[in-house]
Amino acid sequence: MSEAPLFSDRPINVCVTGAAGQIAYSLLPLIAGGKVFGPQQLVSLRLLEIESALPVLQGVVMELEDCAFPLLHSIFTTSDAKEAFRSCDVAVLLGAFPRKQGMERKDLLEKNAGIFKEQGEALNSEADANVRVIVVGNPANTNAYILKHFAPKIPEHNITALTRLDQNRAVSLVARKLGVPLSKVSDVYIWGNHSSTQYPDIFHGSVEGKGKLSDLLDKRYLEETFIPTIQKRGAAVIAARKMSSAMSAANAVADHLHDWLLGSDRIVSMSVPSDGSYGIERGTIFSFPVRVSRGGRYEIVKGLELDEFSKRYIKVTADELYSEKAEALALLS
Amino acid sequence: MRVTVTGAAGQIAYCLLPLLARGDVFGYEQPIELVLLDIEQAQTSLQGVAMELEDGAYPLLTAIHCTSDVNKAFVEADVAILLGAFPRKLGMERRDLLVKNAAIFKEQGEAIRKHAKEHIRILVVGNPANTNAAVLAQYASNIDKKQITALSRLDQNRATSFVAKKLKISPEEVKNVFVWGNHSNTQYPDLFNGVTNRGPLPDWLRDEKFLRDEFIPVIQERGAAVIKARKLSSAMSAANAVKDHLRDWFLGTQDIVNMVVCSDGSYGIKKGIFFSFPCYCPGNGTFEIVPHFPWSSFGEPWIERTKKELYEEWEQAFTALFPKSSL
Repeated sequence: MSEAPLFSDRPINVCVTGAAGQIAYSLLPLIAGGKVFGPQQLVSLRLLEIESALPVLQGVVMELEDCAFPLLHSIFTTSDAKEAFRSCDVAVLLGAFPRKQGMERKDLLEKNAGIFKEQGEALNSEADANVRVIVVGNPANTNAYILKHFAPKIPEHNITALTRLDQNRAVSLVARKLGVPLSKVSDVYIWGNHSSTQYPDIFHGSVEGKGKLSDLLDKRYLEETFIPTIQKRGAAVIAARKMSSAMSAANAVADHLHDWLLGSDRIVSMSVPSDGSYGIERGTIFSFPVRVSRGGRYEIVKGLELDEFSKRYIKVTADELYSEKAEALALLS
Repeated sequence: MRVTVTGAAGQIAYCLLPLLARGDVFGYEQPIELVLLDIEQAQTSLQGVAMELEDGAYPLLTAIHCTSDVNKAFVEADVAILLGAFPRKLGMERRDLLVKNAAIFKEQGEAIRKHAKEHIRILVVGNPANTNAAVLAQYASNIDKKQITALSRLDQNRATSFVAKKLKISPEEVKNVFVWGNHSNTQYPDLFNGVTNRGPLPDWLRDEKFLRDEFIPVIQERGAAVIKARKLSSAMSAANAVKDHLRDWFLGTQDIVNMVVCSDGSYGIKKGIFFSFPCYCPGNGTFEIVPHFPWSSFGEPWIERTKKELYEEWEQAFTALFPKSSL
C-alpha cells in the first residue's frame, strides 16, 4: 500500500462521537498515533460528547497530549453536533443511547432513531461533501439507515457500519480451530446485521496450503458451534469482563477505516447500503464482502455462490433488518 | 518472544496489550507470546481480555496464557512488564504502600531469578516504581541490574508535549527535555538542556519564575489532574509511554530518552538507587546513562529533594525486608 498521505497539504479532519466512552479510549490513540490513516498523514480530531461528559473528555484530551503523538495536529471538543461535523472528512459514530435495565428493544430503537436523525441532519449541513461515515453505536445497521435517510446530500455509499469485529472474530476462531496461523486464513465473510442474527460464512474461504474451509469444517460444526459462537461472542465478552468489548471493537474500527481509506488486497466485510445484490432490498444497510481501494472506494463482491444453508441464515438476518428499518421509520414519522 | 505482563486485567494493560499484539512495541516482524498474570479474583475478567485479544486477529500474537501463579508466569520469559502493584487505599500511609509493594516485588524478583530467561529485560511500572525496581533487583540477583528499568517516559512525554504546545510545534521537534529522579511528585522536569529543531528554547520558557510557578508543578501534578478529570488514572498515556520506552530500548533510537535505571554513581546519585536519567538506547535492550547534562544552580535543590525521597524510600523498603540488618 502507498505510504503517501491521503491529504498531503493538510490534516485529515476526523470527527469521533461518544468520544469520552470506552471504545473511543482504545480507538483515539490508534487514530492519533498514525495507525489508521497512514504513517505520514496529519490528523485533526473533532470530539463530540454530551454536555455532562465534557469534563471527562478534557481528561481524555490531556492524555492524548501526554502521548506526544507527532501526527496529532489539533484537538477540538464540543457537545454541539454541527460544530463537530464541520468540514470533517471522516465521521466515526461511536456514541449511541445505551440499553438500560428493563428497556424494551422498541425503546432502544426509538431513542437512537432520535440521535441519528439529529446527527444525519448535522452531517448533511456541515460535513465535507466526500465525508466517509462509519456507524458503530448499536443498533449500528439501523442507526446508519436512519442517518442516511436524514443526510440526502451525502452519497449513500459513503455511509457504512461496522462488522469488521465479527469478521475478525470469525477468522480468529477458524485459525484456532484448525491450528493454523491467522495470516493463512482468507475470505471469511460476515453477512447481514451486526446482531445475533449475523451470518459468518466460511464457504468462500481457504487456508493457504491446506485447502477450502468448506472441506475442513463440516456443517454440523458450523451450525452447532462456529456460527453461534461468533453470533454470541459479544455477550460472552460482557459476561467475562462485565463490560462490553472496547479494545477489540476499537481495533476493528481501525481496520475498517484503514482498509476503506487506504485500500487492501484482501476482501473485507463492511455493512453498506445494498444495491440489490443477493436479493437484499436496496438501501438496507447490510454486511457484505467488499473490495476496497485507496481513496475510500469499495465495491460489493458480486456473484458469490450461496447454497441453501447460507441462504437460510441470510434470510433471517435480512428479515430482522427489514423489520428494524420499518420500526425505526414508523417511530420517526 | 515471550512477554509476561502482570496486572494484566487492569486499565493500563487494557491499553497496552493491543499495542504489543499489533507489533508497535517490538516491531512488525517479531511474533510474540503473551503470558498474563493477575490475582485469582481477576481471572474471569482476564479471560475476557484474552478473548478480546483473540478477537483482534493479530497475526503476530502466537499464543496467550492466563495465570494467577507468579512462578508459572515468569517461566522462560524474555520480557517482563510489571504493571501490577498494591494500590493505595484511602487512609494508607506512603510507608504502608512501600512495605506492601516490597513484598510483592520480592516475590516477583525471586520468581524471575528461578524461572525467567537469563537475558530477560524488565520494565517496572507499578508504583512506587523506582523503589519497586530496586527491591526486584535485590532478589532477581542472577541478572545484571542493567536489565531492570522503570518508567519515567510518561513524565518525559508530558514535559515534551507541554513545550511543544507552548511553542506551537510538533512534539518530535522538541529534544532533550528531561525528567530526573523519582516517578512521584518530587520528579524534577528540566528544560535547561532542551532544544528544538529550530534552535534553543526561548528565554521566557526557561525563566525561573515560569518554571517554578507553572512548568514544574503542571508536570509534577499532571497525573492528579488527569484523575480529577477522568475519575480514573492515566491508562492510555501510561501505556503509550510503556510502548515508547520498550520500543526505544529494544529497537534503538537517536533521541536521548528518560528511563529509571540503576545508578552507577552518575550525577552523584548513590549506586543501587533507581533514578530517572537521560539515556542513549542503541538497541537490543541496552542503554547508557548520558553523563554530561548540567542541572544549573536552579535545578540543584529540586534534584536534592527527589534524591532524598528516593534514599528514604529505599531505607523504608530495606528495613521492612531485612529488619535485623542495617543498610
